[in-house]
Amino acid sequence: MNPTPEQKQWMYRHMLVSRLFEETIEKIYLEGKTPVFNMANGPIPGEMHLSNGQEPCAVGVCAHLNKEDVVTATHRPHHQAIAKGVDLKKMAAEIFGKETGLSGGRGGHMHLFDADVNFSCSGIVGQGLGPAVGAALSRKMQNKAGVAVSFFGEGAANQGAFHESLNLAAVWKLPVIFVIEDNAWGISVAKETATAVDRNAVRAAAYDMPGVYVPGNDPDAIFVAAGEAIGRARAGEGPSLLDIETYRLAGHFMGDAEAYRPEGEKEDLLSKDPILVYEKALLASGDLSDSDNSDLKECAKREVDEAIQFARESQFASPESALDHVFA
Amino acid sequence: MAAKERKLTVARAMAEAMAQEMRIDEHVFVMGEDVGPLGGVFGNTRGLFEEFGAERVRDTPISETAFMGAAVGAAADGMRPIVELMFVDFFGVCFDAIYNLMAKNTYFSGGNVNVPAVIMTSTGGGYSDGGQHSQCLYGTFAHLPGMKVVVPSNAFDAKGMMTAAIRDNSPVVYMFHKGLQGMGWLGTEAGATVNVPEEQYTVEIGKAATVSEGEDVTIVSLGMGVHHSLHAAAQLREQGVSAEVVDLRTLVPLDRDHIVNSVKKTGRLVVVDEDYQSYGVSGEIIASVVERDMSILRSPPQRVAYPDIPIPFARHMEQWALPNAEKIVTACLKATQNDE
Amino acid sequence: MSSAVHQVAIPVDLWEEEVEAVITTWFVSDAAQVDKGDLLAEVMAEKIQFEIVAPVTGTLAIVKHQDQLIDKGDVIATITSAPD
Repeated sequence: MNPTPEQKQWMYRHMLVSRLFEETIEKIYLEGKTPVFNMANGPIPGEMHLSNGQEPCAVGVCAHLNKEDVVTATHRPHHQAIAKGVDLKKMAAEIFGKETGLSGGRGGHMHLFDADVNFSCSGIVGQGLGPAVGAALSRKMQNKAGVAVSFFGEGAANQGAFHESLNLAAVWKLPVIFVIEDNAWGISVAKETATAVDRNAVRAAAYDMPGVYVPGNDPDAIFVAAGEAIGRARAGEGPSLLDIETYRLAGHFMGDAEAYRPEGEKEDLLSKDPILVYEKALLASGDLSDSDNSDLKECAKREVDEAIQFARESQFASPESALDHVFA
Repeated sequence: MAAKERKLTVARAMAEAMAQEMRIDEHVFVMGEDVGPLGGVFGNTRGLFEEFGAERVRDTPISETAFMGAAVGAAADGMRPIVELMFVDFFGVCFDAIYNLMAKNTYFSGGNVNVPAVIMTSTGGGYSDGGQHSQCLYGTFAHLPGMKVVVPSNAFDAKGMMTAAIRDNSPVVYMFHKGLQGMGWLGTEAGATVNVPEEQYTVEIGKAATVSEGEDVTIVSLGMGVHHSLHAAAQLREQGVSAEVVDLRTLVPLDRDHIVNSVKKTGRLVVVDEDYQSYGVSGEIIASVVERDMSILRSPPQRVAYPDIPIPFARHMEQWALPNAEKIVTACLKATQNDE
Repeated sequence: MSSAVHQVAIPVDLWEEEVEAVITTWFVSDAAQVDKGDLLAEVMAEKIQFEIVAPVTGTLAIVKHQDQLIDKGDVIATITSAPD
């Protein structure tokens, strides 16, 4: 089923917030890191993996999800967290390492946990699939509503955990949807040199579940495919695999010189920016008016600015509180 | 005529050792994620792909279970693989091949099958990379029988120990600290970039080194900890305390004689370890001394180690938890002021 | 006959953007003997590291030290070559 105008606006709005958030974080990340790029410095130290360009995957899938549905994500989580409804202020504060952050500063950008909306992410490639299977198992055992979605990259489809998780989900007929964000690069390694098949969607057949390849990084196409997969899961028909073509407009991590990209690839990708493409389409079809567009952009800016301001103004927890929450 | 001075970063030293050995032994090959054209995320395979090509310098998929297992199988069949585990924190996805196969096959085969593999892996934090990308895990690897474990603290040892590791017919886990590599984008401890001879040479695996002599207290450490200890020793000197700094260099086999001899001289022991405190390297060093001869200790041994918590992301929390020169100075003063 | 003093300068077109760089590593010390082609230093601009090699054989005198900021065209050292 195609998205309604409201759903399209929902997706567009969340893509705007997501992209604005990433662009803002990128600027702040570079504070203290110029002219010498030392990732230990600045208000946001450590690694940073931005999701620019991959927003359609997050909104196309999460448009179908409720608070009670479970999402596990990876080291590149911001767009999915935003689409899932994670508290943006607390998320920003966590990225800044502040006491008011989702984990009081203990997790940081790769370990965002929001129990209110059942979102979590983690940094080891491929290891979010198992927990998604487990969440789906739990709901089935408790006869409680909700499906689980695991987001990961095409590189993770070569991890053992991918194959085991799909098999287990199929054998136990669990309400889980596996979503591959295929951005063609695993740091510097191109997909063709690492993956035996052209499309990971064909791997679904090995685990007796539907596998759908969605080209074009188009929110509407992703929405349709995700709707079917999530519908199946909700109806008790078991797991599905979505293989979504998307683009990573930034480097693997901030600091990545991206020398491995073929010449011209970056410029080509930037010209296909999915948000600009979607904006144009919505305006052309009348699903979005010029004034609505301005309003949405203003709202997005306000939301992001407030979140960043909250993060900047929040205090750090005491250093000794690093000892807290090791155990329950 | 004296050899020309030429410093290398640890990353370049590792790459040079591998290149020089690969030139003379066609069985040596490298595999791992981003080790090919990128030259390794931490620069340690720089130049290898250009010189040796894709057959001998192989970028792998993100499939640690498979390629660690493959390293074991290839090593048992006459090859000499150098395989990279990009972050030691990732060991969880491939540890069976490491501790149950690589480390045990020689024993299970009664010495008939050797596994001459080298696993090189990055360790350490201090730059806010969070709990799954900053660990040292020295104790985890050292604890399990059947694999040698080396931890270079500088480029000279890095090159020599890599050559020794490749030539060793036993499996060697080569753990390099990210903060010593020489990567501009990470910040590097300058003391790790030292003069490295151009020719091939080995640094014997299983031998500790006294990197700074002293009389009043022995500081034992490894990796980045050696540099913190040297900074602490400089501060202590100004306070009239003479600290001897011992660089373990190898965890397995552990050079217990060297450690005991140093403590015999000074009578006091401080162990510095960036790995988790409990059940690890620091406890092993102390136990090794105490069980040998308690009478050589004039005060209770001290340890400066990482608390038993997941590594927090927030910089102020992580820096609070990490070993540093100040903590080592405090521990040394405590050791020297508490003679029994 | 006299010795010649050669400059070791950052090429003006070594990197594209108008940004400063930093010397991340000196591989030889001040007053070291260097040969033409020897790797002298590594500089980092934005996130890319570049190698600076010795243009001639001689004695090195470091002008800009490790961790110092530099611009394209800056002289980071001189090499005094032996008299003919």
